[in-house]
Amino acid sequence: MIRSVRLAARQAVLEQRSFWRSAEYALLTFALPLMLLLVVGGTNAGDDLPGTRLKLTLFFVPGILAFGVVVAAYVNLGSKIAVLRHDGVLKRIKTTPLPSGAYLGGLLASTVATATGIAACTGLIGWLAFGAVPRPAGLAALAVGLAAGIACFAALGLAVSSVIRSAESAGPVATASYLPLAIVSGLFDPTLGLPRWLSTLVAALPVKALADILQDGYTVRAFPVAALLILLGWAVAGTGFAAWRFRWQS
Amino acid sequence: MTQHAIEVSDLTMSYGAVRVLRGVSFTVTAGEVFCLLGPNGAGKTTTLEILEGFRRPDAGSVRVLGLDPVAQACRVRERTGIVLQECGFPRQAKVGELIELWRGYFPRARPLAELLSVVELEPVAGRQVRHLSGGQRRRLDFALALAGDPDLIFLDEPTTGFDPEARRRLWSAVENLRGLGKTVVLTTHYLDEAERLADRIAILRDGVVSMTGTSGEVAVRSGLGTRVSFRTPTRVRGGAVAPPPGVGLQVHGTESVCHTANAAATIRTLLAWAAEHALGDLENLSVSAPSLEDAYLRLTGAAEGDAA
Repeated sequence: MIRSVRLAARQAVLEQRSFWRSAEYALLTFALPLMLLLVVGGTNAGDDLPGTRLKLTLFFVPGILAFGVVVAAYVNLGSKIAVLRHDGVLKRIKTTPLPSGAYLGGLLASTVATATGIAACTGLIGWLAFGAVPRPAGLAALAVGLAAGIACFAALGLAVSSVIRSAESAGPVATASYLPLAIVSGLFDPTLGLPRWLSTLVAALPVKALADILQDGYTVRAFPVAALLILLGWAVAGTGFAAWRFRWQS
Repeated sequence: MTQHAIEVSDLTMSYGAVRVLRGVSFTVTAGEVFCLLGPNGAGKTTTLEILEGFRRPDAGSVRVLGLDPVAQACRVRERTGIVLQECGFPRQAKVGELIELWRGYFPRARPLAELLSVVELEPVAGRQVRHLSGGQRRRLDFALALAGDPDLIFLDEPTTGFDPEARRRLWSAVENLRGLGKTVVLTTHYLDEAERLADRIAILRDGVVSMTGTSGEVAVRSGLGTRVSFRTPTRVRGGAVAPPPGVGLQVHGTESVCHTANAAATIRTLLAWAAEHALGDLENLSVSAPSLEDAYLRLTGAAEGDAA
């Protein structure tokens, strides 16, 4: 057990080193949410949420936080594993006595590090550029949201990697499956109005749920218990699907 | 301890309706280089994948280092090194870093410096894997397979796509392993490779082992007699002179070959035929034991117009 943890940690360190070594990849992963934050924030920084006296920034900063988690955990992990499988790296790992759990644990730990890093940068820029500060009592909600969000989207990343057929389609499949959802979930525009059927659907999906929990960290509301349950439900579904369909070779 | 590194008996395996293995049995003695030889589609890779624990046969028994390669995969893999046919690396990892990571997977790893030197990758130890040449990647394959100082090494068509110098280098690496007392199991469809490297050969055809033994034994046991060959005279190639009857001469372009149980009589017949048609001396006339290639072609049915 201790040996597995140590091996997973070594794997995670190598993953992080490799991640930062491909500068364009690492920078884009970090830059995308941060640029969106600045662009979206720049257009409506001073506004209030219509009909309220709440600063709009208190909604879109956590929205972008959620976006960063989705990019790091779902898109990056999902497409990375699809590429590793396609390249035969996963099969090569199976030629060694390394326990599968230690290997996947290492990949997940590296994902947690990346996602946490993006969240920290987003939070910091949100504070410095737009004055969006989490309320002290909301820090717990933020922590719960980030932990559940990373777990949920990493599980969904594992799941989607299992249905991606080639390295070439990994990026497009991952992007096409989250970006429309991110938009209709109001991550870039908290004031977005949706038809009733669509908003009902979106509410049941994990992106909006994560954004709701993180927004609770910035504004005083009742903690969205239902959103947390939705996130955890998707985490279980993603894990189950990955356990069923995960393959070590293409 | 068993003296057999590998024991398989009666392996059968189907992919859907296609029967790939139809009762494969052989043993590999510890410390020998054992070669699975056969045409594409004969079941070499499937057999190897069963030995490596990647597949479970439909029926039959497999023991690798005395263990079950699927149920006891972890214990088997601590002592085996596997070079797969085509297998990628994490793209951004550096050579030394990757070998070091691999060493951590095994209980008694070989030192990093030693591994780098065995595969001659010291100069590129700090280079990212994606910037390596094809040959360097193959050598890295080898280094990773040797990282755990394995007792048993599997090589699946290790020299496919190699230039002659790279093949020679890999051959000497395999001979080094034999020198260290390691057991090596390799698949190949190159006859010279099998003849050069293998202590024993198993010829696999249509999912069964049609023969095992040293390359000499295989050649003799294939039932081919002594090989008599000479350079095909021009007029024979051109069709002006018919080959001699009764000796089963096969004309393969510039070389003519026959196999015989009675070399002296065959040579007398050939010389008389040459004299009769004024073909002069039969150039490059040679008499030798049957070669592995002859035996292989006969066993795999690839030879046309079989002489015997």
